[in-house]
Amino acid sequence: MSRLVPKAPSACSDLPLDNAEICHKLILLKELLTSSFGPTGKLKQIHNNIGGHVVLTSTSSVLLQAISSSQHFVNLIKTSILNHVSRFSDCGLFAAVLCLTLVELAKQSGLAENVSVRLNKYFLDLCVSYMQGEDCGCRVKLDFSNSHNLITLARSVISSKPACMLTVQEVLHISKLAVQAFLLTLPCDKPGTITLGRTVTITVEGYSVLNSEVFTGLLVDVTCDLCLNRAINLNSGALPVVVFSTSLAGDFSELGEGIIEVLAGVDSESQILEQLLELGKQVVKDDVKLFVCQKVIHPVLQQYMRSQGIIVMERLGVNLMEPIIQLTGAQPVATLHSTIPASAYGKVMGISIKQIGSKTMLHLQPTRESVICTLVLCHRNETVLRELKLVCQKTEHVLRLALKDPAALLGGGCTETLLAAYIRHKCNEAEAAAQLRCSQSEYLLGMEVFCHSLEYVAKALDHDGGDSLIDLNHAHHWNQPVETMKNSLEYSLGNCGCGLLRNSPGMKWTYLNTAYSPFSASSSSADPTAQPRVLDSFTAKLNALQVAVETANLALDIRFIIQDLN
Amino acid sequence: SSLIRSISGSVTSHVLQIVSALEAVVLRSFGPNGGQVLFTKDTGEAIVTRSGTRILTALRLKHPLARMVVDCVWKHSRATGDGSKNFILLLASLLRMFQTALQTTTAWRLAYELREFGMMKLDEIICLGVLPYGFCAKLENDPLDTHYLCVKKLLTPFFQTRLGQTHCDMISHLTCEFLMRSRVANNHPSSGLHFVYTNFPALHTTVSGVPVTCSRLIEGQVIHSDFAVHFPQTDKQPVKAVVFTQHVQPKLLGEGDILTVGFEDQAFKKKSIVEFTAWSEKSLQLVFASLQSFGVSVLLSAVKQSAAFLALAAQAEMCVVECVSEDELSLFARLSRTAPVLDCCAIEAVNVATLTFCCPLTLGVQRYECVVVTQFYGNVTTYNWSFFHYDCVLCLLFIYLFMYLLKLNFLFSFHRYVHVAFPHSEQDVVVNLSSLVICGSGKEQTDQYASAFQDSIRMLLTTYEPRGTTTLSDERTCLLTDEKTESASSSAPDLQQHVLDSCCVVPAGGAFEILLSRALLQHGDKYPVSRLLSDALLSVSRHICTQTSGRFSPAQAKVLTQCDGFSSKAVMSGSSLESVSCKHILLQSVLWCATSLLRVDKILYTHVVLNTDSQKSAGDSWDDTG
Repeated sequence: MSRLVPKAPSACSDLPLDNAEICHKLILLKELLTSSFGPTGKLKQIHNNIGGHVVLTSTSSVLLQAISSSQHFVNLIKTSILNHVSRFSDCGLFAAVLCLTLVELAKQSGLAENVSVRLNKYFLDLCVSYMQGEDCGCRVKLDFSNSHNLITLARSVISSKPACMLTVQEVLHISKLAVQAFLLTLPCDKPGTITLGRTVTITVEGYSVLNSEVFTGLLVDVTCDLCLNRAINLNSGALPVVVFSTSLAGDFSELGEGIIEVLAGVDSESQILEQLLELGKQVVKDDVKLFVCQKVIHPVLQQYMRSQGIIVMERLGVNLMEPIIQLTGAQPVATLHSTIPASAYGKVMGISIKQIGSKTMLHLQPTRESVICTLVLCHRNETVLRELKLVCQKTEHVLRLALKDPAALLGGGCTETLLAAYIRHKCNEAEAAAQLRCSQSEYLLGMEVFCHSLEYVAKALDHDGGDSLIDLNHAHHWNQPVETMKNSLEYSLGNCGCGLLRNSPGMKWTYLNTAYSPFSASSSSADPTAQPRVLDSFTAKLNALQVAVETANLALDIRFIIQDLN
Repeated sequence: SSLIRSISGSVTSHVLQIVSALEAVVLRSFGPNGGQVLFTKDTGEAIVTRSGTRILTALRLKHPLARMVVDCVWKHSRATGDGSKNFILLLASLLRMFQTALQTTTAWRLAYELREFGMMKLDEIICLGVLPYGFCAKLENDPLDTHYLCVKKLLTPFFQTRLGQTHCDMISHLTCEFLMRSRVANNHPSSGLHFVYTNFPALHTTVSGVPVTCSRLIEGQVIHSDFAVHFPQTDKQPVKAVVFTQHVQPKLLGEGDILTVGFEDQAFKKKSIVEFTAWSEKSLQLVFASLQSFGVSVLLSAVKQSAAFLALAAQAEMCVVECVSEDELSLFARLSRTAPVLDCCAIEAVNVATLTFCCPLTLGVQRYECVVVTQFYGNVTTYNWSFFHYDCVLCLLFIYLFMYLLKLNFLFSFHRYVHVAFPHSEQDVVVNLSSLVICGSGKEQTDQYASAFQDSIRMLLTTYEPRGTTTLSDERTCLLTDEKTESASSSAPDLQQHVLDSCCVVPAGGAFEILLSRALLQHGDKYPVSRLLSDALLSVSRHICTQTSGRFSPAQAKVLTQCDGFSSKAVMSGSSLESVSCKHILLQSVLWCATSLLRVDKILYTHVVLNTDSQKSAGDSWDDTG
């Protein structure tokens, strides 16, 4: 009882958005994330005060994880965005910048918080139904009869991560590899339930990115020389494989907590070893060529099997177990006292040695169409290689998202400007204001906040002081580089942000921060054969938009902070 | 050894200060336009809430009177699930009225009168002044759709104040649908509410990182663990499942057991260690043989099983789910009407559950397993992937087909769960069991939604079954039949019964307060406190009306004219309702709280020396700090 300390009262603070410190931190966070946004985003170096790895990144998942604020209000926004990234892998910075801008502009507009929240929700619903509707101008159907769009999608993801330090040629190479690896994990011969396969990524440091490759089957690190000499001979015909998921070291780990009393002169160890060798004999009899164990194998058993010409792989680890089971079709065995059933054996087509950089790998080739492939990534140093691996995993994820909803959105800020133009065009203040129980001027103010926030995200793609414009026919986003600013618009603009439109006579532009009279954006391009050059994942961006607005609404809605100080 | 530290000032003025401070906090999140409160726990975990109880307990107040008030609020909201902010507002305005009344009378006298009034007269006045204007939402009377229409109208204002206006329509619709599907067949509709309330943890799944609008219902039960071993159960119809609650492979040695090993075939009949392990494996194989004889293909386990168990299950092509929580297993047992296996050597038919399907629910964005059978898939020519070309039309065409045939069960979840469903039969426990998937951008939000769901069910239970435990007693149906004949002349406890049993609902948004305050003036002349209570109620309704319609007096007039032209249809035509029995319980607990506050005369601060000698001798060195 003497340890009972009375609980201290909690600290309370009112109206967090009126608090200067919180507002300052939100602005700081917004500037930090905005500067990292897009293909030309500035890189951030993260290191902590006690040493360790220096991380070079512009990826939202890494950046946001590294930031932690003493203000829980800021952390609330941060975790919301991180939750989105952890599920969708893409559009994290988009969501963060949009959310923070919405909060800041809504605060500046002086609208009552609950009115802002209602209006934001209304405009979000408008955007979502437009994006999902039939006549959406910013959605591109992913045409699977042509891999061009898939590669464009992958390239947009990879090129938006400048910390990978890739040249244009390297970006294309990696995008193709990512698409190839993705396609290899799709099963095609099994009717019924479909299970997508897995890409195992291996990184090799110190080589050019162009040396990266995709292999069907699995590449497994091997260290022992003995099995390597054997392996060279084994590359034809289906080779039987057995996979053990239990330890074969002859220990008693599964016996329980009790005490074992051994009579004098009894050699339990040799009894167990005898049992293990029995197992080895059966494996040899069944003509197994590859013996895999998740855990440790007794050295005597290893020696015996090697002498019989079997390749032995031990300590595989739980991570590689699933791919190897999928690859070989084997069933894991964990019983030592019964004969291994014939159905438990799997097969590989061939085993060969691959020398990749400094690593010697055992290449297990699948017998039939396998959904397992290995992506070998090379890059010059460890820091960029880590980022590249992350980016490739995200790309795979984004491609898989496209399976669910075969669509993509125009990138390069065009979707954002299109949405803003659509909302302005759809605006019917008299009707909507009555429906939303607010005045018409409040409605117009709320609309400007929402549209400006969207346009701010489009503008944030440029980091070199250029100008952002919107054309008044198609409502796409255009960028005027800083070095051509002296020329007139007609001569200085090339393509729009997504690359679908080309500068042509008769086009009209206006700067993004200026007012323009609402118009209906025409979706038909001048050149029907033109393909967008930048595409964003539809599923990820749609979710990011919703999460951003919902998080901004949550932030606007918080009126009171209570902090437990115990 | 208690020391009196401070006795100063009148306690009642103190109380008013404290309750006014609480009122100021609560008002920030009061009503549909109120905001949320961000609360960070001592563990660093963040909670976003609009619930009055949650906010008040989070404050960790020090003052004893404040703690007493918070305690009353907590008890009230635990019982009814609703009304904690109203509680504070009503208490504050009541105390304010008392402040002026105290100039002529003593606090103790006032407390006595208040208690007397609450016990004797209040129920009668509610019967006379409020019930005639309400609509009786008895479950037995209504056809199902009217009932659920009424439930939805009760839920809408509740979620408006708990979750804000943006999503309340969607959420109340979802809850209504959920309750409709979870009603218990051939039984009183409120037993469905009980079922949902007690099994709520097993019936909902939270998914963060996805907008709230993705929340939905899915048929069957979701088991919140992944498959340890998975084989698609497509060709087996129906799927047979068995529940284990303990290790199937016998542990050879318990704690304290001694195993003596020796040579084989010795005079002592000692066996070698190898035989022990062989015996253990053999018994496991026998269990699997008996499982196979029942055609079982899904094994659910409360504990983690051995590697041998998993390997044997894989060889027998059975699915295994480990570490299933107790809540989920008991719900599973109830729905499938089976019992978990107690003795692994004796599995019987009563242990084998029949399911319509059992598949992974994931889902998710990361893993796409669990997909639906595609009949014409087999006809598509197999394409050899090794001839991979970037622009190969054939292979991409294939994916094109693949995508349309593939019906992904997409839940946006990282976690892969197990999804099971039960076949329908005549004596079903639950009509059409569904699980609730609650989405939100963060964990804070999904938790907020989940707790609001649970409280809403509590609120509905209070509305339809305020007396709690007794379900469908005969006495109750009697009361119902001669409802009209009973009048104000009957004794007080019967009246209370009557108020509670009537399941009366009135339009939400201050109608109850306005009606009751008028009735108090009309019928409560003899009691001086009745006027005070009437004024207090009016000031609460002022708060509510300014929240919803901006100005008060027109709103008041509107409510009164509406109610005077009373008809039950008019009440039901409104978009939102609230329950009289919830309000009745609220009034009673506020009166009780006010009475006990008024009766406090002095506050004694005692100081207890925590470190006595006897503790010191027994304790360690760190005890000295006290």
